[in-house]
Amino acid sequence: MEKIKITLNINDKPYDVRVFPNDTLLEVLRDELDLTGSKESCGEGVCGSCTVHMDGNPVRSCLTLAMEATGTKIKTVEGLATEDDLSDLQQSFIDHGAVQCGFCTPGMLMSADALLNKNSKPDEKTVRKALAGNICRCTGYAKIVEAVAHTGNPQDHCPDCKTGGKTKE
Amino acid sequence: MSDYTSDYTIVGKRMPRVDSRAKVMGKAKFTADLKLPGMLVGKIKRSPYAHARILNIDTSKAEALPGVKAIVTGKETKGVKWGVFAYTRDQQFIQIEKVRYIGDEVAGVAAVDEDTALKALDLIEVTYEELPPVFDPMEAMVSETELIHEDFPNNINVHVNIDTGNVDENFEKAYYIREDTYVAPEESYFQAEPYAVAARFDHEDCLEVWCPNGGPHMKSKPLSNAFKLPLHKVKVKKIAIGGAFGGRSEICPVDYICALLAKKTKRPVRIQFTREENTIATRQGHAMITTHKTGVDKDGRVLARETTCYMDGGAYSSTGPIATSVPFLSMEQAYRMESVRYNGYRIYTNKPIRGMIRTHGRGFACGLDTQLDMIADHLGIDPVEMRLRNSRQPGEYTSTKSYVDSCAMDETIHKAVEKSGFKEKWGKLPPYHGIGIGTNSVQTGFPMGIRGGSQSFIKFNEDGEATVMSGVVDNGQGNDNMLVQIAAEELGLLPEDIHLVSADTETTSSDPGSYSQVSTFVGGHAVKIAAQNCREKLFEVASKLLKVEPDKLAAKNRLIFVKDDPGSKRCKASKSIPIKKVVRISLLNFNSVNAEGGYWPKVDMKREWVKNPYGQMCEAFSFGTTIVEVKVDPDTGQVEVLEATAAQDVGYGINPLVLEGQFEGALTMGGQGGMLTEYHEWKDGRCINPTMLDYKLPLACDMPKINTIIVESIDPKGPYGAKEAGMSIAMSAAQGYSAAVSNAIGVYMDSFPLTPDKILAAIKGKKAQAEKKTSKNNAVN
Amino acid sequence: MRLPRFDYLGPETLDQTLDLLATHKDDAKILAGGTDLLVRMKKGLLKPKTLISLKALNELSYINKKDGCIKIGARTSIADIIASDLIQKKAKALFQACEKIGAITIQHDRGTIGGNILQDNRCHHYNQSDFHRSGRQACHKDGGKICYAREEADRCNSTCQSDGATALMTLNAKIILARKGGERTMDLADFYTTDGIMPFAMESHELLKEIIIPIGGAQSAYKRLAYRSAIDYPIVCAGVLLKLSDTQKNEIDDVRIVVGAMGRSPLFLAQASSSLKGKKLSDTVAFKRAADIAMDNASTFAVHNVGATLEYRCAMVSQMVFQALEQAALAARE
Repeated sequence: MEKIKITLNINDKPYDVRVFPNDTLLEVLRDELDLTGSKESCGEGVCGSCTVHMDGNPVRSCLTLAMEATGTKIKTVEGLATEDDLSDLQQSFIDHGAVQCGFCTPGMLMSADALLNKNSKPDEKTVRKALAGNICRCTGYAKIVEAVAHTGNPQDHCPDCKTGGKTKE
Repeated sequence: MSDYTSDYTIVGKRMPRVDSRAKVMGKAKFTADLKLPGMLVGKIKRSPYAHARILNIDTSKAEALPGVKAIVTGKETKGVKWGVFAYTRDQQFIQIEKVRYIGDEVAGVAAVDEDTALKALDLIEVTYEELPPVFDPMEAMVSETELIHEDFPNNINVHVNIDTGNVDENFEKAYYIREDTYVAPEESYFQAEPYAVAARFDHEDCLEVWCPNGGPHMKSKPLSNAFKLPLHKVKVKKIAIGGAFGGRSEICPVDYICALLAKKTKRPVRIQFTREENTIATRQGHAMITTHKTGVDKDGRVLARETTCYMDGGAYSSTGPIATSVPFLSMEQAYRMESVRYNGYRIYTNKPIRGMIRTHGRGFACGLDTQLDMIADHLGIDPVEMRLRNSRQPGEYTSTKSYVDSCAMDETIHKAVEKSGFKEKWGKLPPYHGIGIGTNSVQTGFPMGIRGGSQSFIKFNEDGEATVMSGVVDNGQGNDNMLVQIAAEELGLLPEDIHLVSADTETTSSDPGSYSQVSTFVGGHAVKIAAQNCREKLFEVASKLLKVEPDKLAAKNRLIFVKDDPGSKRCKASKSIPIKKVVRISLLNFNSVNAEGGYWPKVDMKREWVKNPYGQMCEAFSFGTTIVEVKVDPDTGQVEVLEATAAQDVGYGINPLVLEGQFEGALTMGGQGGMLTEYHEWKDGRCINPTMLDYKLPLACDMPKINTIIVESIDPKGPYGAKEAGMSIAMSAAQGYSAAVSNAIGVYMDSFPLTPDKILAAIKGKKAQAEKKTSKNNAVN
Repeated sequence: MRLPRFDYLGPETLDQTLDLLATHKDDAKILAGGTDLLVRMKKGLLKPKTLISLKALNELSYINKKDGCIKIGARTSIADIIASDLIQKKAKALFQACEKIGAITIQHDRGTIGGNILQDNRCHHYNQSDFHRSGRQACHKDGGKICYAREEADRCNSTCQSDGATALMTLNAKIILARKGGERTMDLADFYTTDGIMPFAMESHELLKEIIIPIGGAQSAYKRLAYRSAIDYPIVCAGVLLKLSDTQKNEIDDVRIVVGAMGRSPLFLAQASSSLKGKKLSDTVAFKRAADIAMDNASTFAVHNVGATLEYRCAMVSQMVFQALEQAALAARE
């Protein structure tokens, strides 16, 4: 079987890669492009550690063929920060102590980022529902939910926020 | 006495973790993210039979497959066995004579890519002769079929016997006695990161290994033994770790297989487990059948207790003697029990290997607490009062003769009761609403012989920043940050000035590892002492410059200044000096600024798990209380958790932000998962739910509001008074959850976890009983 | 986890797709969202030589109202169905079912309604890795002669756990199966074979093209039970379609009860359904009785193979049916 040349648009950059049809997007990101931020934890689409955006929607890169990703815009955890500036969501994860072992974090961030792009001020219940497909074994989700909700609602008082009290426009 | 003061600037403060930036950017490297030049993909051939003799292994076809670089089998290990203890050496790194569970390692393959390695596995032909397997521990003890290990009669792997006080005599004195049996099946860790290991031999024939671990030094020693290499030639390297929860404490056979493949191919090899392999071929939590017999006086004070526990240990010993003891020890620490007899049996079965897990024996602990509630019910005492009457107090000895110094068990109970509104709610909630309390305690460390202590080195760099070296490993709980906070506090630097080198066997001294809640107490302590020693050196130099005695100096915010000097604030320049300058002046005077420091807990080295389970276990114990409020749907048996409150005596909270995260995570694993949804199901020794789809881990959408309360007892020996954080919440949460459900449905449950089917059956059973009663009464009337 | 090798074909149009299906037949599988198919392939349950992707077939993604029916293209995403006002108002059971499918980030954007209907039957002895299934005899669905879920069963007892299938069968949906040079329309109820090994009456060269839901005056409701409130497949689910009498106020003219996750296909429970004919909307006793009949009838089909205990799942049939009935009755009253 021959490898096939495809072009993937990842974090706004084009990448020419040669893939087998059975290569998943996750495998290509990690093994070919060295974008190892997306993780494999369950391998069957359940845990959410491999979540990336495809045209703005969260998808499981372990259940997405690399071939299927052609012609779409892929965003990975590596694409959240600009140069050295973290996104508000990433900073909020840090400030709220939402990161423990960090293995689920990239997927969690991508699901949360997709939510915030659609609903900039989600309430706690909405956040919990949006993150229902991302499993974290360390945190009990409390601080992750806080971090996401607070990114959307930065005016809410919070002792852990560097941006606490600041109204975002 | 503790040197605790309240004017710390770095410790005791909420501080985002130092490792979180790399993690939110996706830059943190876990083992599976490593890429080494020329690296091969390793895969493991595992036994599909639960119990079978290996007659032949033919690797010729696999070896002929293009792209296959090496295949290793048990022949290469020469049958050498290993074990955590000398008396539990029962596992070969690769099985050569027989396999004992579905998943046992029989061969390893290294190939150029995953597809080739997987194909090679299929081409390895193993001929087995199937042997009768045994899956039930009670059956295993009386089974007349071939023993799982020939030198362990009745398949009994470990028997722990503890007998103190006059148990029989005190039962005689008891006003009320109950005997109840509680059961719980296996549970699993489900760390986010599936197990992975990478290994290579470097240009000096040193073995380099990367893998998730509960202590790098616990990995390097068995590897050094197995490869007959001096310890300095086995370098277990630092790597980000995606969770452990007790499941990554020891060497994994695959560490050895990976290294052997690397040796054979002279190339780096990486093995990544599938989720299924992580579940069946690392460790699981023991299934247990526990009988508690408890005798109390009229006031509910426990006079005597006898506990017998049968634990399904799976195919090999693992940390068996520890795992057989800890469920009991946690309860003897939490509650006073002067007269107690414990018989813990760990039994071999043809199932995956069981090790230590965050919630040590949920059936054991929940059983004991359920029984206390039943006794309280009988005596008309409320559950809070029942606990306060039996709770551990400071200055006491446990039944196995450990002195308990700091202890704020009662404060955790009072604070959790107050926050949760327990008193207002108890007995007054609407039907099928319930509230329950659980209390527990864990130890900070075990007697670990020569590996019981930790040592740290600190060196100052010429730019005034410091490098701290420690053997402590961070499994995800925040140990790295803890070390940085302590070093920064003591050295007068900011956290960003500390460069941490940790969990690397080449550069760091031995350390007990993170699996016995000992990292802060011992490893953090060592860093604190090293930093203090280093600071003394700085002060010596600074004292000459500032012309004051060293004991008048303090370090803070990158400055050394004169303490309590009224002029220091107004006239900073004359009375303080930047640390960087002190370092440079010291270097100009041919003195480098570095120091070491170590901490060895004073434990009873004669204490041994089986032979002598008495004496000082560790220097400090943590205590926790969890109160949970639930609503049960009487039609479906489903549980909605309304609120949970977790209070723990952590000694001292070095980073409240991190501690809260530990409490929340512990409650989720121990309570929400451990008591409501998590268990393994089996069919002929096959685990039916090894995946994240079928094993029901808690989800964000199902979690209740969690209140966390940090209680500080300032332990006299802990660094700043700190002990451990989170473990006594994981355990008490299980108890709190089960008590709440029992309270909601009015039935004391004895089979855990409390899945909807069991809850519904209990509700139906109760209704049927009530109807029977009514009809009987009607008949009488 | 590695996928086995296959060829990937990406047709641009429906006609091209049907051509390819006609050529490759049994050797090919259709790839839509991939959330079910690729998992089965990773476990080695399926090793197609070729995958034909529907990625470019936007023409199969639509929700229309036409000829008194809702027409849904088979490649329409679960998210689009949830977002559709038309479906929320006129096919409530489908809306409720889709909302409960898996998790937002797993199936809702990627998963399609066609894929959900064609989600293969499941069994916790069968939906396992190659390794798990080695070292023991193959089960019926795996090409062998054994059933691990029910001893001595002479056929496969795998369970249909599709939320969409149960809801759509409740709604009397029809489907269009297209093939090269033609198509056929059939009742969804007839599409299910009750054969655990091959649960769908579909030829290998056919493609599920469209789902048609008749819009009547009836109210529908869907209830499902799972251990967790996301990710999990239902362990029991029930759909109810309730039509009021045109002449008698608050009287039931017709009820259709379908139970899912209990058998090899969604189960239309005729006896339970007909027991409610002519009953008043407020007659909860009749609802309870119908629910119990449903439980008795559905229980005969179920085996312990999807997680919770069999006894529990059977008991829950009555609950889910009753709750769905109550919900539909409430909607009818409004």
